[in-house]
Amino acid sequence: MYELLAAGVLDILQLKYLVPLCVGTLAGVIGGALPGVTITMTIIVVLPFTFGLDPLQGLAAMTGVYVGGSAGGLVTAILLGLPGTPSSIATTFDGHAMARRGEPGRALWIGIWASFFGGMLGGLFLIGATGPLAAFALQFGPWEFFSLFVLALSMVAGLAEASLLKGLLSGCLGLIVTVLGTDPVMGQPRLTLGIRFLEGGIPFLPVLIGVFAFAQIMSELEKMGAGRRDPAASLIVPKLVVSHAKVVWEILSRPFLLLWTSFIGVLIGVLPAIGGSAANVMAYDQAKKFSKHPERFGTGTPEGIIASEAANNSNIGGSLVTIMAFGIPGDAVTAVMLGALTIHGIQPGPLFITQEPKLAYGIFGAYIVGHFLMLAILFVGVRWFLRIVMVPKSVLFPVILVLCTVGAYALNNTMANVYVLALFGLIGYGMVKGGLPLAPLILGVILGDQIEINLIRAVMTDANPWLFLTRPISGGLLAAAVASMAFAIWQHHRAKGKLPAESGADY
Amino acid sequence: MKLSRDGWAGLAVLAASLFLFALTLGLKPSPLVPIGPGFYPRIVLGLTAVLAAALIVFDLFTKKLPVPLEKANYAAVVLHFGVFALYVVALPWLGFRVATFAYVAAANALLDAPRSVTGWLRVGAMALVTAAVVYVVFEHYLSVLMPRGRWTGF
Repeated sequence: MYELLAAGVLDILQLKYLVPLCVGTLAGVIGGALPGVTITMTIIVVLPFTFGLDPLQGLAAMTGVYVGGSAGGLVTAILLGLPGTPSSIATTFDGHAMARRGEPGRALWIGIWASFFGGMLGGLFLIGATGPLAAFALQFGPWEFFSLFVLALSMVAGLAEASLLKGLLSGCLGLIVTVLGTDPVMGQPRLTLGIRFLEGGIPFLPVLIGVFAFAQIMSELEKMGAGRRDPAASLIVPKLVVSHAKVVWEILSRPFLLLWTSFIGVLIGVLPAIGGSAANVMAYDQAKKFSKHPERFGTGTPEGIIASEAANNSNIGGSLVTIMAFGIPGDAVTAVMLGALTIHGIQPGPLFITQEPKLAYGIFGAYIVGHFLMLAILFVGVRWFLRIVMVPKSVLFPVILVLCTVGAYALNNTMANVYVLALFGLIGYGMVKGGLPLAPLILGVILGDQIEINLIRAVMTDANPWLFLTRPISGGLLAAAVASMAFAIWQHHRAKGKLPAESGADY
Repeated sequence: MKLSRDGWAGLAVLAASLFLFALTLGLKPSPLVPIGPGFYPRIVLGLTAVLAAALIVFDLFTKKLPVPLEKANYAAVVLHFGVFALYVVALPWLGFRVATFAYVAAANALLDAPRSVTGWLRVGAMALVTAAVVYVVFEHYLSVLMPRGRWTGF
């Protein structure tokens, strides 16, 4: 394994892979630093540029976006008090407080170095766990895969939003998208409504791009001119010089905090479609609970910054494990990566690491090198990235939507994909306004075909439906699905009295 | 009893799922395999209909808390959807370069109306640069043949 890993790192250090990784990391840091532009949106913008590249070049660029974006969000979170991405929300609690106290450089570099160490710990898990988990998944038959996908959907439905019912409904809407088109067994057209384009089914990338990009951009447009604070108005670039040895020691002298919060990040990453936005808040909460001085949290304590940033970068490792071992995206960013892989005819899943070792270890290599590049990019350009918040959204959003349009069109050079993009943009925004979470819809669209194929394979192999319950792994996975829904209901009832009305939209 | 946002969402999904479920009844089973093309869609659409009905019932019988009204600029959203829809429709007729220039300029001007000649020049320059850079990068470096206009041939 170590030889393959070394080969993967050496591959990535070749100029043809290093350049896309570098550009991706830079784009990620910039996208992450821009409030209102999420990592998902950044990776959607980068996606069309990867179509003409070889698979590893494209995935290196995307891994760079993921790594850079997870760290980039902390720049504006700490210096302006505006989280660049949802995964740096908890960083503002102590990071911005420390910056206001007159230590912006210390706050910023604690965050950056914590992201680096958290990311590296996540990388250890990624490299160590992907192979064994994929080997375990090789024992799966259609019953087990069906149950695994049902578990993934039920977990996302339960955890993505306060209401389990709306989560499940959103997941089912995603599954409906996949039944329009052609029956996967006999290739017979079904539910095409007489539209010829639908005979080939609805491609999932335009759906994903439309849903996420429009939901995000239109929600931001709602805020424009509605009395919200302009981040650029308060922009004063402070002095950011610190002793890096001191900052690194501040982090490494708290090994339990670093390890525990990185573990939380990895764990949240492994759970499908939850992502860094939950990881940083949960890790912050845990750090506060375990602290000897919980009263210091929120006043500018380094523990708060370390917890949030270590968790959101280690989260990437967990998300990549699920996609590489099981073919299930850990979050929206890995869902786009899955789409990029399928465009190149590569199917992630249990066989991925054995059939595509160059690609798999190349991704590991990109992940490791990406963290060093992220450090270097922030070291050189942190002051400059702060000025990026001055780019007006009236300029930024039309450009992003043009790139989304090109991304949808370039999938197979057809306008039909652009129409799908526009339609699902409208649906995505409507769902946000209707209070339906988006993550289960996307997972439903991604897993729908696989759920159907495995269900039919299972029933055609043996018509006994009890096998789904009596086969140990399949039964265990379905029991876990029921348990996750029961947990979601319990959590919802417990939180009902505490929450004011309704949580925000989940992208 | 009055339907709220959830109830209306449930009603829309229920109607759509029942309509599609009815269409699956017209799908003919295959003589070669025991499971026809309507088997799985019926499960999914049936489950969706049940969940949507449950959402309506919950909405009707749950005590509704007053939701604080947020100040939101819906006019900007509607306008932007409209401009984007025009862009999508115009792409095959005007071609990528012309349609993108027009879209970026219109969207930019609508979101932040220029108040001087310099402002209009900035909007025009931004639209021109976006259309040109995206076209050159994708057509010449990434081998993506961008849409040509049926009316403009450009």
